[in-house]
Amino acid sequence: MSEGTRQAVALEERLARVALNALAEPGDPRLARLAAALGAVEVHDRLLHDVDLAGLRSETAARLADLHPERILEVAARQDIRFLVPGDPEWPVQVADLDHVEPLNRLAGTPLGLWVKGPADLAQVCARSVAVVGSRSATTYGARVAGDLAAHAVGEGVTVVSGAAFGIDQAAHRGALGGGGSTVAVLACGVDRAYPTAHRSLLEHIAGHGAVVSELRPGCSPTRVRFLSRNRIIAALTRGTVVVEAAVRSGALNTASWAQRLNRVLMGVPGPVTSAPSEGVHELVRSGAALLVTRGEHVLEAVSPAGSQLVETPREPERERDRLPLEDTRVLEAVPLFTPAPVASLARTSGTSVRQSREALTRLAASGWVVQEGLGWRRAPGSLEPGMRDPGGSGA
Amino acid sequence: MGCATARAVTLDGLRGHVIDVQADVGDGMVATTLVGRPDSSINEARDRCRSAVMNSDYTWPNTKRVTVLLSPADLPKRGPHFDLAIAAAVLAAAGDVLKPEHLHGVVLVGELTLDGRVRAVPGVLPMILAARGHGLTLALVPDSQVDEAAMVDGITVVGVRSLAQVVARLSGKEVPDAEPVAPLSTARVLTWRGDSRTDDLDLADVHGMLDARYALEVAAAGGHHLMLSGPKGAGKTTLAERIPGILPDLGVEEALELSAVHSLSGDLRPGQGLDRRPPFRAPHHSATKASMLGGGTGQVHPGEITRALHGVLFLDEFPLFNSDIIDALRQPLESGEVTIARGGEVATFPARTMMVLACNPCPCGDYHPDARQDRCVCVESRRRQYRSRMSAPVIDRIDIVRNVVPMRPHERRDPLSRPEPTSVVHERVVAARRRQAERYADTPWRINADVPGPTLSQRWPLEDAGAEMLDDHLCRNAISHRGATRVHRLAWTIADLRAMDRPGEHEVGLALLLRTGEPLPLASLEAVGR
Repeated sequence: MSEGTRQAVALEERLARVALNALAEPGDPRLARLAAALGAVEVHDRLLHDVDLAGLRSETAARLADLHPERILEVAARQDIRFLVPGDPEWPVQVADLDHVEPLNRLAGTPLGLWVKGPADLAQVCARSVAVVGSRSATTYGARVAGDLAAHAVGEGVTVVSGAAFGIDQAAHRGALGGGGSTVAVLACGVDRAYPTAHRSLLEHIAGHGAVVSELRPGCSPTRVRFLSRNRIIAALTRGTVVVEAAVRSGALNTASWAQRLNRVLMGVPGPVTSAPSEGVHELVRSGAALLVTRGEHVLEAVSPAGSQLVETPREPERERDRLPLEDTRVLEAVPLFTPAPVASLARTSGTSVRQSREALTRLAASGWVVQEGLGWRRAPGSLEPGMRDPGGSGA
Repeated sequence: MGCATARAVTLDGLRGHVIDVQADVGDGMVATTLVGRPDSSINEARDRCRSAVMNSDYTWPNTKRVTVLLSPADLPKRGPHFDLAIAAAVLAAAGDVLKPEHLHGVVLVGELTLDGRVRAVPGVLPMILAARGHGLTLALVPDSQVDEAAMVDGITVVGVRSLAQVVARLSGKEVPDAEPVAPLSTARVLTWRGDSRTDDLDLADVHGMLDARYALEVAAAGGHHLMLSGPKGAGKTTLAERIPGILPDLGVEEALELSAVHSLSGDLRPGQGLDRRPPFRAPHHSATKASMLGGGTGQVHPGEITRALHGVLFLDEFPLFNSDIIDALRQPLESGEVTIARGGEVATFPARTMMVLACNPCPCGDYHPDARQDRCVCVESRRRQYRSRMSAPVIDRIDIVRNVVPMRPHERRDPLSRPEPTSVVHERVVAARRRQAERYADTPWRINADVPGPTLSQRWPLEDAGAEMLDDHLCRNAISHRGATRVHRLAWTIADLRAMDRPGEHEVGLALLLRTGEPLPLASLEAVGR
């Protein structure tokens, strides 16, 4: 990042946040609250001077003295990793919403800072973004849908955020990359680590074109709890979360819960009703928590400002015949295809009066639907196509 | 004056039977008779042989009674290739230029012209195979077909150009020169594409389509039948044409069997040698039943299904094939053989081939599950009619069903997509085939698709958990008994691809998904390379 960005926040504040970030596990609500109330520098100083704050015990704090935030920043910078803090122009302000929600699994709170690797401006790319998450044990169906949704989203300038895991996550990232758009991976370990190892080239590619983000400082390895606190960042960064294939115990449902708490749009892609990998999603939709989406347009409509990107409800194209008045339709249906029938018989079949029938037939004849032969009427030769398609532009 | 026996071979399908051609020259009413169920072309041999013998400056016993017997009499015999044997038997019986003992251990194959030259005949390879099986040691064949006959080990093959050369060879005289024999003129059965078209196609060009790729690999590894369904342009042909590339080379016996088929249909090119690559046949849907399954006038010719022996028979636009053909495919799909019964004769051809069927979801081919891309104009009744053409019994015999969805632009542009090249998949398939060959070493079978169901469940059962899973599907009527056998075979192939000793629950689960056309779990495809 340029010097200009750095200068927006006092160095002291940044260093204090680096130290606190290195000290605490991500998603500790007490630290987030304290930092918000007192400022990071104050919290740092008090903890350093053995003051027990909100149960952050002094022995934990004692480790603060051994930390060298400057060194941490320096080492990170050598790996092209930057540390964003609130107040930076690149800071995604929407994550502050995390301060206003109930903890989930005792995790909550705005992160003290975010470690970022990659050329993308995090605030900018996440301003219009959607999370696409799902099961690691996904099927080829789910992977394809996730890729399609992601490719469609980036095509409209919406960034795709996910967790770089196996299954749906990687499909979403790759769909976004294949679609030529930007994508952000949020990790539960340091951004210098490749987890899972098999996704090293994927992560390298994202770090080269989009951004790899983590609340954990470089070098940290992933744990179960860290995955849960990572999920809250994914939900908070984006305007909505799409769940594609999540079994009943999938971690993707945790991200979904965060999205709900944060009042973000929660969306679910259905699978076959018999499919176990889609059961969790179906439950989200069934309980009314998630909006059912089946294609990119649906997702865009949900995450775009109200009234924009509206999806037209698909309907059959209107046919000539659909535009006929009800009475004419009735009579038309009574008219035989080949052998002409007299008006009286048509009136009887169609349940209209002779006068009404005659009027209707006159109108139908004028627009090319029927022809008169002798004393009877029959369908006009050109008004019937194979497959019962009605004539287009037949003078109506 | 006396009696002599020469040997020829008659073919029933691909199977050859050695025929004794016995000639007797003796006193009696002057005549030449042929007995022992000869067909009209053999009856004509009488006149051809007589002229050929006389025009070669030998003497035909014109003042004697000549009786030629073809035995055993219960086999129908047809074709002009008995000429050489008949002429030699008569000459040996007459005893002037040949002696009966000259014919011991010799098989003679070839047609004669009136001036005594030898003409090429179809089916030399299977005939020589039969002769070797009968213990004969020397084969005289038309000169242009020596290469073909020489593919068979354990029998000496000599090419001849004229009756004079035959006599000289047999009696140990100096062989006179003669005009070379013209190669067989062949009327090739319709071919949709050049035979070598599939050579330079590589799976590395197929992005995405993970489950279709896996389906191809499993089908190739175990020789299973495959159906690809999808809108036109989805890549069904693209996929099918890449199957020969991942199939292993044919074994010597298999290649010989295939060459025998080509020999019979007369399209074995001279000097071509033994072709070890598996065939890929893609007949057009307008093909007739005879060209598909075998038949034709006169000699029963092998059909496309037999010409695809040990390779791939690709039927694009499957529902558009004649419904007679579709129903007739049941037998070969199940038993790996095709039987053509005609009048008093029954010919059986091998039909062990991987059948790959491609179909559209509707007659116009534009139906697409994605509503935005659906440009189908078919009315529902036509769609239903189209689908009903694929008769349920045939579909039940298909092992793997895959829906093919067109490759998306983002899949092609995915910078991380590294589709495995054909060579890598080929290696895995070869390894899986090797495991099968070892397992079935003491049996007549080579690949999982060959093994009959009952034997499979007795000798090579599934692990308990897998068997329970399959039983459960059977109990719920979710699968037919035939289907269960096919799933069992598929599970073995999946296990073979993973170098496992016995298929378990996971393999059975995957096999069931493959069979029902449902999407596959990504995790099982890790090895496929993406």
